[in-house]
Order: sequence, then structure tokens, then C-alpha cells
Amino acid sequence: MLKREVAKRVFAKEFEACRELEKSTRSASEAADSKSPNLLISPLGLILNRVFIVGVLTELDSIGTQNEMWKARIVDPTGAFTVYAGQFQPDASIFFSTVQVPAFIALTGKARIYEPEPGSIFISVRAEEANVVDEEIRNRWVVDTAEQAVDRLEAFSDALASGYRGETLREYLLERGVSEELAEGISIAIEKERVPQVFAKQLRASIRQGLRTLNFEAEDTTGAKADQKEFVLELLREMSGGKGIDYAAFVDAAVSRGIPEEVVEEVVRSLLAGGQCYEPRIGIIRFVG
Amino acid sequence: MDEKIAPHLEELTRALGDIEKTGIRAEFDKLLAFRVPPEVAKESILRKFGGKRKILKVKDLSAALKNFEITGRILDIGEKAIRPQEGVKEGPSKLYTGVLADETGSVVFSSWKELPGSVGDVINIRNAYTRLWQNRIRLSIGEQSLVSKVSDSSLPQLSELSQSPAKKLIDVGAADFSIGAVACILQLSHREVLIRGKQSKVISGVLGDETARLPFTAWVELPGIDIGSIIRIEGAQVRMFRGMPSINILSSTKVSSVGPEEAEKLVFTFESVAKDPAPMKIEEIASRDSMFDIAAAGNVVSVRPGSGIISRCPECSRVVQKANCRVHGKVEGVRDMRIKAVLDDGTGAMSVMFPRGLAETIYGKTLEEAEQLMFSDISKDAVYEDLRRILTGRYLAVRGNSSKGEYGVSFVAESAWVPEDDLAVRVVELLHRLGPDDEDYVSEVSGGGINLA
Repeated sequence: MLKREVAKRVFAKEFEACRELEKSTRSASEAADSKSPNLLISPLGLILNRVFIVGVLTELDSIGTQNEMWKARIVDPTGAFTVYAGQFQPDASIFFSTVQVPAFIALTGKARIYEPEPGSIFISVRAEEANVVDEEIRNRWVVDTAEQAVDRLEAFSDALASGYRGETLREYLLERGVSEELAEGISIAIEKERVPQVFAKQLRASIRQGLRTLNFEAEDTTGAKADQKEFVLELLREMSGGKGIDYAAFVDAAVSRGIPEEVVEEVVRSLLAGGQCYEPRIGIIRFVG
Repeated sequence: MDEKIAPHLEELTRALGDIEKTGIRAEFDKLLAFRVPPEVAKESILRKFGGKRKILKVKDLSAALKNFEITGRILDIGEKAIRPQEGVKEGPSKLYTGVLADETGSVVFSSWKELPGSVGDVINIRNAYTRLWQNRIRLSIGEQSLVSKVSDSSLPQLSELSQSPAKKLIDVGAADFSIGAVACILQLSHREVLIRGKQSKVISGVLGDETARLPFTAWVELPGIDIGSIIRIEGAQVRMFRGMPSINILSSTKVSSVGPEEAEKLVFTFESVAKDPAPMKIEEIASRDSMFDIAAAGNVVSVRPGSGIISRCPECSRVVQKANCRVHGKVEGVRDMRIKAVLDDGTGAMSVMFPRGLAETIYGKTLEEAEQLMFSDISKDAVYEDLRRILTGRYLAVRGNSSKGEYGVSFVAESAWVPEDDLAVRVVELLHRLGPDDEDYVSEVSGGGINLA
């Protein structure tokens, strides 16, 4: 049966840590099928090829010389996806030729892995379809993706704690209600990583921070601190203008107006993670919209 | 020549048994007569009849299987005389049809040869195949099938097999022939239809229990039963329509009301069953052949070609291509609008079909407005492009029926809306599941210690 492949929800941090899923570890029938897609596996055992991402388009370059080729960067609260679209992705290419940077966009694409030499691995997305969306959709995507990642993290911790390996682990996870694909993925991923819990911990921290930037949590900061943040935000909006501002210069300006450096850093960090701000070049901060 | 083919014949006999009797030899000779090399002929015969022989149970049967083995008890058998078609000198003249059952279900069979058994006997069929007949799977026993009677079998006795098994609605499927259930009536309507020139009253509606909902049709009156009644059905027939089971209440079906005392012991009530279905994971929908009246939510990841303004044949409503209907030839098409989109929730993907009313709602333009767009733009895909721009990436929840086909799950939407769940609540919940910032670190260290030890 020729089924449409599911578009996985995954954060950039987990996505860029993916590695190729070796054919030998797949079931024999699947490996024999030449149409089977190039599958990647994340350190948490997520097996993926097609992905659906929603984030902020912060960079867009036409890098093709003879043929058209677009390279884009899409930022989510945990990191950034590198996306390519060329002449064989006409829908996405047309979209990139018309979109304004920055913007919230939704995109489906297939994961590509490129390893020019051992040890240096580039993971990117080859775009299929893309569209401009609103912040509401982006926020939902973050929550959806976080939910699925947390489900995975919990299954993964459970797997580690169980002490089982291989086939026994797979059966254990199935019994715990984990889907067949993830059970398989986790048992492969655990074999691969020497210290599997390290990545899980990092991802937990990133997701936690990412969710906080959505500003849904009840504000627990005191009024004064909130005012300071508001001030930093206004200052940045004013100073960054159309071109952006040098980060160090901005910190100096804020500190000279009596704002603690930590507060400035915190605000900028949360703006970057939340996608309201981005770095067009390293060290330069620019407002979205 | 015989010397050349003898070893091949031997091999075929070893693999397939008595090849003279089953007509395999004749088929082999026919291939040779067409000057097919003996090795190739042997291989194609092996592929057709032999190879890995599968032993299946009734519940595993699906459409267009061939060359499998099955054992079952005959529940019912009858014969039909078939008039040979004109031009055919010697056609099979008798067709035996009936019902075969094992412990997993029952299936209608038809055989072109006389079977070595009658009602109550257990038979083993090798080289059987299946066909889809009147939307149901039918087990076919052909000339090349080997049928033998099994005298001592561990299969349940006739009386047990012919009892219609009590089922939860979600478990009712194509392998069921006759079932029993306890369910609540959610919808009910009467209509009059002409059956063989006679006006008859038909009741149709929807049944539900805690697992699923299913449509039903009653060809008899149901006195004292209305929406909200909880009923027990025994010996209802299961029919398949477009891959969806429906329950048929016939004159032979026993229907009784479940009294209030017994109803209290049930795990569902009318109120719990009548609630709007909650969105379920698409993964779960994809694991079933078909589901009736369910809901799902996800992102529109792709709007498929063929969405937008279409033109339909005025007679049969088929989509008309280039002013020609597949059946009625050149016609003046009637304009209509529809959207076919892929809805994906990260666990599964399905193709959702939005008919005109819904398409207009989610698109935000009426058919007339879309037509204006089509006429004002030189691109013939103007409406399709506009749809993609508006819908791609968006969140949608849909309610309707799903069925699984060759290309995965297809879903016909009866309603659609933008899901509005409270993100703030979900975020708080997630942060709670993620635990406090530092706890991770502590548990990580101790966890690592255990793992190293």
C-alpha cells in the first residue's frame, strides 16, 4: 500500500541531532523496497523522514548559480532548521521567491543528511510545501511538538530505567503502550548512544525554556522587573530600527540607563527564542515585523 | 521432449501434490504449447499455485488474496444452477454457495465444484482465493482448489459457531456475518422505499456503545423503541457499504429493550454515548479499516490537486474532465466546489474530503466568489493556488467517517472547525511533566550512577 508518510513534529534541537538509520537495522521487507525513504533517527528514537515545522523565517538566500536554489533558516524555540528548495521543489521555490523575511512560516519537507567527511554531518530539510502563517499557529505548533517530545522523553526515560535492551526492551515498551515505531526507534537509539541521558536532559531544558517564551505562564516577576523588561523591549525596538543593532552596543546603552546587564540578556534571549527577534549576522539583533 | 520436462513435472508434483488431478498439469502443457521454455513455465506455475502457502483464519481474509489455505466448518450450503453463457460450450453449471466459519468469524463462500461435506462438516481448502462481491469478501473455491474433509477437528461445534457472537461495535468488521450487540439508539428516522414494487417502511439510524458508532437499518418495525433506547440485538446481519459496516435488523433478528436495572450495569448511558466524539489520534484511525462518525484534528499539510472548482455530470454527479463524463459522454457540467487536503497530526496522515458547504466555510469564499476569481485570472489554477495559500499549515478539526483504501486513510468530513483548546493550560501541564529545572540534573546524576554500576 502506497501510504502517505506522516510529517513528524520535531524541534530543531532534536532534528539536528538525528543520524542516519542504517538499512540493516530495518526490517528485511522494508530494506528490500527501493522506494523506502531515507530514514533518520533521533537520539530519543524518533524515526523520521517527512517533517512539519512552524517557525520564524530569519534568513533566505538564493544560492543557486545555474539552477535556482534557495537556502532558508527557520527558527524555533530550541534552535534552527536549515531548509533548501531547488528546481525539483517548484512549489516551495515559488513560495521562497515571494516571501518577505522575517515571517512566521509553516513548512513540510523531507530530512536530508549530508556527510562530506567523517565527523561532519549536515542535516537539512528539503522543502515540499510552505506557507505564511500567524503567531497563533506557531504557538500551537510549539505546544503540539513539545507534547510529542515530552511523550517521547518519558518513554525514553522509562526505557533507560527499565534496564532492558534490544528485543526485550521493544516488547516492554509495546506493553507500556508505546507505538511500534517508537519502541523500535528507542531500542535502536539506546544502543547507539554512549550516554543517552545527556541529550534527553538538554532537550528537556530547551523545551522548558521554549515553552516559557510563549508567555502563557502566569507572570511571576515583580512589577519593577516587568517594567524593566518592558523598557528594554522598547529601547531595543527603538534602537534596532530597520537594520538591527550591535548587541554589545545595545547592552552598553541599556546599562547606561540603569538596567542590570542580566535583565538585558534575559530579555534578548527570550526574544530570540520566541522568534520576535533574530540575528541577521552574529552579534546583531533585529526585531521581527 | 518428455525427458526434458520430466524433472520439472517431478518438482511440481513435489511442491503442489497431485498435478494431474488439479489441472495444473494441463496448465503446464498449455504453456509449453505456447513454446514457453519448460523452466520458465515451471516457475510461473509455482508462482501461481505454490510458493509459500499461507494458512489463514477467517478474520485475516481481505480482498484479492490468492493461494492460501483455510479450514472451517460449513454453517450453511446451497446450490444454484447457472445458465452457461452463450458461446461458451461447457461452462460450469452449478455454483455452491454457503457460509464457512472458524473461531475467528464467518465468511460467505462460493464453490464451482461440489464440496466433500455438508452443513456441520469441517473442510480444509488449499489454493483458495478471495474476491470482493457486493462489498463483502467472498471466499472462492475454484477448479484448482483442493478441498478435503477433516474428520476430527478442534473447531467449535456447529451450534456454537452459528450463534451470532456478541460484539462491541468497534470490533464489527468485514469478517462478521451475523452479530449480536447491546447498544443505544442515537438517531432514528423512518422512510418508505419501494422493494420489488411494494411500499415498505424502513427505519434507519445510528447505534452507539462506549467503543464506537455504526449506522443501522431495520427492515421490520421496532415497536416501543426510539432515540435514547438501549437495545439488545441478536442475529443481526452485517453489511458492508463502501468499506463501512452497517447493521441490518431483519425479521430473523431478535430485538429487545434493555431494562433500566440492567442498563445501570452497562458502562455507557445514552448521555455518554450521545456526546460529540472527541478528536482521536490519526494513528488510531489508520489502524482500523473504517470508522463511523469520529473526530480528528491536525494541520493541513497539503491541499491536493483537484481541489477547487470542479464540474460534475448532471446525471451521475461524477467529476467531468474536459466536458466529457466517463459514463454519459459529452455533457453540460454542473459547477461544484470541493477541497481534498491532507490532514496530519504528527502521528498519522489522512486525506480529507470537504464537500461544497464545508469547503466554502473553511476557504472563506463561496462558489460564486471563487468563480469570479477563476474568471479574473489567466491561470487556470487560480482557485487552487488561492486555496493552498489560505489553508496550507492551518489547524483544522474534522468530524465524519473514515475508511482505509489503497492510498491510506480517506476521510469524508461532515463538519469542520478550528480547534480551540487552551494553550496556556497545556503549557502548564507540560512544564509540570518536564519537572523543575534542577530536579533533572539531580536525577540525571543518580540515574547515570545506576547505569554505570
